[in-house]
Amino acid sequence: MRLPPRTIFDIKQFDKDMNAFEGRYKRCTLLLLLVFMILISRLWYLQIYKGDELRAKSESNRLRVLRIQAPRGRVFDRNGRILTGVKPYFNVCIVREDVRDMEGLITRLAGLLGEDEADIRASLYQGSKQPLYMPIAIKRDIDWETLSKISARLIYLPGVVIDVAPGREYPYGPVAPHLIGYLGEISEDDIKNNLYPGARPGDMVGKSGVEGRYNSELAGVPGKRIVEVDVKGGLVKELEETPPEAGDDIYLTIDLDLQMAAEEAMKDKIGAAVVLDPNSGEILAMVSSPGFDPGIFAKGLTTEEWKALNDPLYRPLFNKAIQGTYAPGSTFKIVMAAAALEENVINENKTFFCPGFFKFGNRDYRCWKKEGHGSTNLYRALAESCDVYFYNVGLKLGIDKIAKYAKLFGLGEKTGIDLPNEAAGTIASSEWKKKRFKSKWYEGETLSISIGQGYNTVTPIQMARLIAAVANGGILYRPNYIEKITGPDGTIEARFKKDQQGIIPVSESNLRLIQNGLIGVVEDDRGTAKVCRIKGITIAGKTGTAQVIRQAKRKEDEKMNWKYRDHAWFVAYAPAEAPKLAIAVLIEHGGHGGSAAAPVARAIIERWLQMQGPRPQDSPERTAGLDPAPAHQG
Amino acid sequence: MFDRKVFLHLDWWLLGYMAIIMIIGVINLNSASTAGSYYQWKQAQWYAAGTVFMLLCIIFDYRVLASHAVHIYILTVVLLLLVIFVGKSVSGSQRWIPLGFFNLQPSEFAKLSTVIVVSSYFYHNEKPSYGIKDLIRPTLLMAVPFFLIFRQPDLGTALLVLLIMASIILVAGLRWTSILTIATACIAAAPLAWKLMKPYQRERIKIFLNPESDPLGSGYHIIQSKIAIGSGQLFGKGYMAGTQAHLDFLPEVHTDFAFSIWAEEWGFIGAFILLSVYFLIIARGLQIASQSKERFGSFLAFGITAMLFWQAVINICMVTGLMPVVGIPLPMISYGGSSVITTMIGVGLLINIKSRRFIFDSK
Repeated sequence: MRLPPRTIFDIKQFDKDMNAFEGRYKRCTLLLLLVFMILISRLWYLQIYKGDELRAKSESNRLRVLRIQAPRGRVFDRNGRILTGVKPYFNVCIVREDVRDMEGLITRLAGLLGEDEADIRASLYQGSKQPLYMPIAIKRDIDWETLSKISARLIYLPGVVIDVAPGREYPYGPVAPHLIGYLGEISEDDIKNNLYPGARPGDMVGKSGVEGRYNSELAGVPGKRIVEVDVKGGLVKELEETPPEAGDDIYLTIDLDLQMAAEEAMKDKIGAAVVLDPNSGEILAMVSSPGFDPGIFAKGLTTEEWKALNDPLYRPLFNKAIQGTYAPGSTFKIVMAAAALEENVINENKTFFCPGFFKFGNRDYRCWKKEGHGSTNLYRALAESCDVYFYNVGLKLGIDKIAKYAKLFGLGEKTGIDLPNEAAGTIASSEWKKKRFKSKWYEGETLSISIGQGYNTVTPIQMARLIAAVANGGILYRPNYIEKITGPDGTIEARFKKDQQGIIPVSESNLRLIQNGLIGVVEDDRGTAKVCRIKGITIAGKTGTAQVIRQAKRKEDEKMNWKYRDHAWFVAYAPAEAPKLAIAVLIEHGGHGGSAAAPVARAIIERWLQMQGPRPQDSPERTAGLDPAPAHQG
Repeated sequence: MFDRKVFLHLDWWLLGYMAIIMIIGVINLNSASTAGSYYQWKQAQWYAAGTVFMLLCIIFDYRVLASHAVHIYILTVVLLLLVIFVGKSVSGSQRWIPLGFFNLQPSEFAKLSTVIVVSSYFYHNEKPSYGIKDLIRPTLLMAVPFFLIFRQPDLGTALLVLLIMASIILVAGLRWTSILTIATACIAAAPLAWKLMKPYQRERIKIFLNPESDPLGSGYHIIQSKIAIGSGQLFGKGYMAGTQAHLDFLPEVHTDFAFSIWAEEWGFIGAFILLSVYFLIIARGLQIASQSKERFGSFLAFGITAMLFWQAVINICMVTGLMPVVGIPLPMISYGGSSVITTMIGVGLLINIKSRRFIFDSK
């Protein structure tokens, strides 16, 4: 029975063909099922299939490993005096995430710190690749006054934090900066090349010297703190902590007293001085002048400081003791004498006549002493540094024999000191010239070589090792500056032993002849280095003058432009009977070895004598009574 | 008007599902609440208020809505216009009317009024099937609230209004030729829609297509949400132990991303249970629509069901990275008074329709 549809509220109570919708609703239910199957599959994919991977991601999301810097190891001298200690550095840092108004902050910080806004921006730019929560150091090692100024205003400087980092202090000032080296902020290239494994942007790392070479030992092992953080990097709770291991302490063979005496003597001079213990090769002092203050790198260099450090003439960063190469000058006559004696070109009594010049071809090769030395034997040739004597010897030996002996004396190759960038120098031979210049050797060149001029170049450390070998009876020891490395608890982790590299090819009797000649250099009244004489101790040495420009064009030194002046050499050992010190001094553009370089050696030996205890006979008149140094050719 | 029979035929199953989902909602918001913000208690208050509305919606005969569709339509448009003048703005969009104790979100109620207005239209214009010409009037009608919502801007809700309307049209019966024509027109209009979108909306779609292109910017939400859900694995990280949410890696964890924390803490199993509850509610809604003896009730039930379906599906697709982030809350689970009350009114109407299907019997 069908009723007409009734209406209430203007609406029908039921419709006739509602069946038409049933099919549609069924299809809708199927569609619903399908969609929910898709959703379930998606959840399955994320939670089951990719579950492990995403779980790992959520772990790394919340866990952060914070590093605890390890206290850096210290550097001591051989007597346990601290050359480089540790003190906290207070660095002003910006955490960009917390900064509200960066421009305003930069302006205010610039005022507070006395920095250029541009410098602050540059620091920020350097750190711009790091996460926002990482503090970027704007100014390092601020003083107490600045620290208190900033600390008092921290609440008005959102985003500024004071970071405490382990830094360096130098109780005796910048002693041996080239050897000890300096710390600097790790560069992007260093990170890219993984030069300092484990280091991160912003870290201070050893850039040169001991700091650089033994960086991993000194740096220690940083500790870590695993913390749970929220999305802003804020600490929620600490989960685990591994304390850092302090860096190792390094004891150098350097003797602070000798080092400071050498630095004092080298003050206002350009050059290098090396003091070795001839019986072991231990470096007692190593100076390259001018020096620099290693502390300034930690603060960040100003443009002027950077310019000064890279001055092309003074080259303060350049370790001239191992990197500087200079013609050996007359110090090379030690090698010449040894070669001539061993090759039987001369004997103790063989004399050559020196009229003040040596005629070879159509040229006159001059002796430094115009009036000539007259008839000269080996002793006088060394003591008075007669050039004509060695012209004769050199021609008889020939270049290749000279080169062979020079190499056996350790010249022309690195000494193997454990520092980067050591220079090898050059020892010329006929073969070398063929290779280098594609031309044959001329005997005239042998004459220059014979008195230490020409192609040959050596480093101060090579000459120090050479004179040490002459002093100790012939043994070449590898120059070494590390005495021992100790762990933070004092246990010795490494102790360095002397390393015998070779023996110079000179018989005992021939060596004695040379040693006598060298004693004459200082102790003989006609010796070229009598300025170095000290009462109560016998000193052996050899002066040298390395020509900077060719002799033919030379004028009187004093009238010459300073930078064309000769380099001055002096190598010495003392006491001559039982040598304890072997010294090589080079003064760039210093003029004559006797007048410029020998006083440095003298100052070092005097300091050494003082260290041996009181010497009542040592009176002030002794030094005051010296003659003004005569102008000697080395 | 009141009929004892209505209570005898109350849909206890649907009420049961709603109870389950409210329990889940409070539990989940308890975990999603950060220190000092007690979303779980506020949400419980909305549930209580929503329950009152739901029960009120059972009492009266739902057919009264058909005769008052015009008034409901006008009220909705007025409220949406009010938003423009007295609306409260939160992070760039103006969606709320502040009422002191409550920020009313008219766009939420607009979804429901769309259902009523469109159902009423197709009820009053009964035809076996409809063509494009028949769609002009309802389209023009709904264009007003659509654009008012769109310009708030609230792209998600605007699209939802469109989807609800489309769903009802399809079920009312649209000719295949018309469907094809509309589909073609939509594809042709896509570039225009792209132009009309705000830059951030475009950005969201771009990011959706490649979230890793901007892992710290707009893509961040999707990535962190996927990490949260996936890291829940089978059994979840445990209640209150969802690190993604508790350490603030997951944004909007109490609103749009409420599902993510649930899935993180309760795992696949928990997510499956919640999805099942939604499935049951929606399937129930379809059943009610199908059992109704007259077109208005059927359309109304279907429209409400479609509203719940689209919101749930879009939200879950969004947090699982299947869809761009459009800001559609998960019904009942996401925190929000307007959304909860709208949903519960809808469910009340469903129960109303179901209870009254026997009124017409045996005549």
